[in-house]
Amino acid sequence: MPIAKQRAPRSAPPKQPTSNDKQLLAFAQEAELAVHDLYATVVSSSKFTGDEAAMLSMFTEHHKAYAQAINGLLGKEATNRRNESIYQTYVGQLTTMQSIYATLQALENTLAKTHIDILGNLEGIDGAQLVASIITAEARHAAVFGTLPTLSLSSALDNPAASIAPASSAPATPETTVAP
Amino acid sequence: MSNFENLSRRELLRISALSIGGTAFLAACGKQSGVQSSANIASAGSVPSLQPANSGDITDIVLLRTAASLEYNAIDTYNMVIEDGLLTGDFAKLSDAAKRFRDDHVAHAAAINSLVVSLGGKAHECANERVDRLYIQPALKLITTEGNEDTSRDVVALAHALENLATQTYQGVVGSLTSPKLRGDAMRIAHDEARHAVVLAQVLNPGFASVGPTVNEATGKANVASVPSAFGALAIIQVSLGKANAEGVKPSLNMETPSLNGLIYDNVTC
Repeated sequence: MPIAKQRAPRSAPPKQPTSNDKQLLAFAQEAELAVHDLYATVVSSSKFTGDEAAMLSMFTEHHKAYAQAINGLLGKEATNRRNESIYQTYVGQLTTMQSIYATLQALENTLAKTHIDILGNLEGIDGAQLVASIITAEARHAAVFGTLPTLSLSSALDNPAASIAPASSAPATPETTVAP
Repeated sequence: MSNFENLSRRELLRISALSIGGTAFLAACGKQSGVQSSANIASAGSVPSLQPANSGDITDIVLLRTAASLEYNAIDTYNMVIEDGLLTGDFAKLSDAAKRFRDDHVAHAAAINSLVVSLGGKAHECANERVDRLYIQPALKLITTEGNEDTSRDVVALAHALENLATQTYQGVVGSLTSPKLRGDAMRIAHDEARHAVVLAQVLNPGFASVGPTVNEATGKANVASVPSAFGALAIIQVSLGKANAEGVKPSLNMETPSLNGLIYDNVTC
C-alpha cells in the first residue's frame, strides 16, 4: 500500500489548493511563463543549432508544461500571463552564447529556489506534489548548464540564487532570501 | 405448501446419505486428535518461518528518519568508493566530485536528523538495512564480478541510481508530510540530490544529445539521461551493472523508494 494512502486517515491536509495556495501558484505560473518566453527568445534567435538547440527547445517545452499543469490546478483563476518583471529583467542579458547559458542557469536556479519557498507554504497536497516535481526538474536544468559545455562542479551543484517568491511565502529559515 | 412434503422415501434416503458423507469428508479434512500439526503439509521442501514486517505509525518523524537512513546509504557508498580506490583510469578525476557528494550527504543527514530531533524523535545515524541488503550489496556483487571490465563506470552508475533514489524519496514523501515547512525542507535537499544525479549522468552519457531521454537501439533500454522527464518522476530506477553477456547486455537491477517495510519506524535502531 502506498505510504500516502496508509497515512491518509491520520492527517488530512486539504487536497485542493486553498485561496492562499492559489495566489502562490498564480505567481509560480506567471514566473514559468516568463521563463518559457525567455527560452523561446533564445531558440528563435538561431544562435544555437543541432543538439544544443534541441536541448533548449526541450527545456522551453518543459516550462510550458509546468505553466499548463499549474493552470490545471488554478482553473479559471489562472492569469495565463507571464511575469513581465522577470521577463524584462533578463531579456537584455540574452546576447552572447556564454551570457545566454549563464542567464538561463540563473533563471533555473531562481525558479528552483522560488518554488521551494512556495512549497513551504502550500497547504494543498495536489499543489505541493506538483511543485515538488517541478523543483527536481528545474534543479536538473540548472545543473546541466554547469556541466555543459564544460564541467564546473560548483556551478553544477551550488545554487547561489535568491528566491523571488512573494513575501508571504517566505519560510523562517536563513537559507532563503526574499525579494521585495 | 412446502416442497419437502412432496419428497419420496427414496429421495429422503439419498439426502441423508449425502449429508452423512459430506460431514465425514469435512471431518477428515480437519485437525486430527493426537497428530502434531505441521506448517510443511502440502508443500515441497521446508517453509521458513514467517517474520512479520516491521510496522508502526507513519509519522513525520518516521518519514524523516527514513530519509536520513538513505543519506547514510549514500555516505557509506561514497566512503567505500573513495577509500577503496574504485574510481580508476579516466574515472579517477571524479574523486573530488565523490568527496563533495559524500560531504553533501553528511550535511543532509545532519539537517534531516536535526528536524527529527526538533519534532521530538530520535536521530537515525546509520544506513537503511533493507536498501543496503536489496540494492547496494547485490549491486556491489555485480560490479566486482570477475571479468567485469567496467568496474569504475558501474560504480558511477550505482552512485547515479542512489542519487535518483534519494531524490525520489524526498519528492515522494511530500504527499505524506503534514507540515508545509517540512515539505519545503525535504525538497531543498532533493534539489541538491537531483543536481548530483546530473553530474553523474553526464559522466555516464555525456553531451547535449543525451540530456533528454533516449533509447539504446541495440538493447532497447533507456539510456542514462540528465533530465529524463519534464517533471520529477516517481518510478522504478533501473541500473545496468556487472559483466556483460555475449550480446553485450549487462544485468539489470531495479530500485524503488522505501515502502512500508523499509521505513525507519520509531523502534528501529542502528
